[in-house]
Amino acid sequence: MKARLVILGIVIVLVCALIPPLVASSSSGGGEKKEFFIKARQYAYDPPRITVNKGDELHIRLASLDVVHGFFLEGHDIDAQIEPGVRQFKLRHPSEGKEFTDVNEVVFTVEHTGKFRYRCSHTCGTLHPFMQGELIVCPNYPFLAASGGTVGVLISTLLVIFLAGKKHKDAMPGGDAQ
Amino acid sequence: MGNQPANSVDKAKDAPKDSGQVKRFRIDLFEKIPFLKKFCKWRSFQFLAVFPNLVIFLFFLYAGLFGSRVGNRNIIIIFVWIFWWFLLITFMVPFASRIWCVLCPFPFFGEWFQRRALIKVRSGKTGGLRNKMFGLNKKWPKALSNIWLQDIGFLALCTFSALFLTRPIISVVVLGGLFLVATVLAFFYRQRAFCMYVCPVSGFQGLYAMTSMIELRAVDPQVCRKECKTKNCLTGSEKGWGCPWYQYVGKMERNNYCGLCMECVKSCPNDNISVFARPFCGDTQVKGYDESWKAFIMLALAMVYAVTLLGPWGTIRDWANIAEVRNWKGLGIYAGIIWFTALIAIPAVWALASWLGKLLAGVRSISTKEIFVKYSYMLVPLGLLAWIAFSFPLIMVNGSYIISVISDPLGWGWDLLGTADVAWRPILPEYTVYLQILLLLFGLFFALKRGYDISLTLYQDKSQAVRSIIPTGVVCAVIIFAFLRLFTG
Repeated sequence: MKARLVILGIVIVLVCALIPPLVASSSSGGGEKKEFFIKARQYAYDPPRITVNKGDELHIRLASLDVVHGFFLEGHDIDAQIEPGVRQFKLRHPSEGKEFTDVNEVVFTVEHTGKFRYRCSHTCGTLHPFMQGELIVCPNYPFLAASGGTVGVLISTLLVIFLAGKKHKDAMPGGDAQ
Repeated sequence: MGNQPANSVDKAKDAPKDSGQVKRFRIDLFEKIPFLKKFCKWRSFQFLAVFPNLVIFLFFLYAGLFGSRVGNRNIIIIFVWIFWWFLLITFMVPFASRIWCVLCPFPFFGEWFQRRALIKVRSGKTGGLRNKMFGLNKKWPKALSNIWLQDIGFLALCTFSALFLTRPIISVVVLGGLFLVATVLAFFYRQRAFCMYVCPVSGFQGLYAMTSMIELRAVDPQVCRKECKTKNCLTGSEKGWGCPWYQYVGKMERNNYCGLCMECVKSCPNDNISVFARPFCGDTQVKGYDESWKAFIMLALAMVYAVTLLGPWGTIRDWANIAEVRNWKGLGIYAGIIWFTALIAIPAVWALASWLGKLLAGVRSISTKEIFVKYSYMLVPLGLLAWIAFSFPLIMVNGSYIISVISDPLGWGWDLLGTADVAWRPILPEYTVYLQILLLLFGLFFALKRGYDISLTLYQDKSQAVRSIIPTGVVCAVIIFAFLRLFTG
């Protein structure tokens, strides 16, 4: 009986976790060209958060308002170095080697959904390790699944402990839980 | 709700309002690993554990004073606030309780002053102790014999964390200041008053040590209570010092205030104390408002840190960064939000949820206060897992600084191990969110499960018990959702 209840609980969590991503996947966008101009300053990026759809082609220009900053985009093999007062910036793909090349913009297509942080990769001051922004690629499946999973854990845990208690109570002579 | 069975109130009155302890299996590690027992009984054990750490700590202070001013090039910042913090919250506390208190250098000189010995034990009489102690050995004021000082101290400290987490010199002031306070207090107050009532790290360690998978306990508490007349674990003997944390192992049923120094293991005349392995969240008892508020404060701070240090909002970082930006109004707003959230908003929501839980359970004889305090334990696994979820990105993103700074600890251009030029490179940062999701959902599950276990100590009727935790359970789910929003949304 206990094993069945545990399985029931897991099934509830999984179902709850799957529903929001499945609903979100039906409303698909993407494939558009989107341009962003991200300005870096100590210790933030402006805009701090950009939201796009999976499949969009991003054209990102970068500028620094004060000191030399970096722009490391998680999960996209992009690392840039931005000097203040210079229109161009230096770009490299860390997996391909260490050489930077001067570019006007970084262009790439977002292929994975979720949250990806862009961080400063060039020591720029005291709070440098915490300088970051966010690229949200919709539909944000990890967040949607986790939100559903939260509801699932709440429902399944309460339900399972309730059912476990009820079964136990029913099984006792006189139906007394003790 | 008024529709409970007629006898439910009586049942509740008869309900076991006991310790709230969830009894589960435990494994006697001293029995399974005889070497461990031998090691813990060895008189040099604690000195050998803490002395290297003291040397390292003093070097960190030196580095903070004379090394690079850039945080990620100075070992005090990288090793204390990234490496040590990660090890403490992710491994030491959940897996080894307050093991850090064995290694902590803060009380080293104070304890030496009180004992005038680093390894050996002094027999004699000091107050109720069977050890000769030096110093004034005053009793800590009764009004402060709780963890409110630690609650407020930690909150105050963390309000300015953007400063000491990033600036070596301010880290020296904070750590050196605590070191000094620990030493000075030992001149006046008996044993580890600093650790017990003042140390801000000790406060949250004690709270979260309740989740730990090890415990130090009596093998058979009845031996302590019925056969042992001397209580050497508390009072000391010629074999060991009296418990520096004022604990009597015969009645100890929580990890909160046991510093794992192993003096009781040495002094027990009945060889009745051991270290046990146990399941996660073995202690489920929060006692008093001071401990409840510690849970609220820790939760609020985890959220504030997630926003300030892991969020994209530069304005909030500017508010916290008073030393550079000098926006005093911003700092006021920032501090106000932190203190209001930690001390008023979360407790108020918890009180409301506790009151609703009481209504749903339909048992009047159990007070809202009792529900409020006991159910605040639910925020212990929840808060710990939220802190772990916060800490993983710190190490995964900034871990490469550890490798470079170990070769150049002062940022003076050294290359001791040939790793000084290792470039900053995050370790699989895009996968951190999946780990955070699992950790947070795990925390929610344990909050609900242990909440139910606690409710069974209040209500005999299981459906009443389940109903009573629904509102606090929903609050826990909302909190987890908020963390998910910050980390993944």
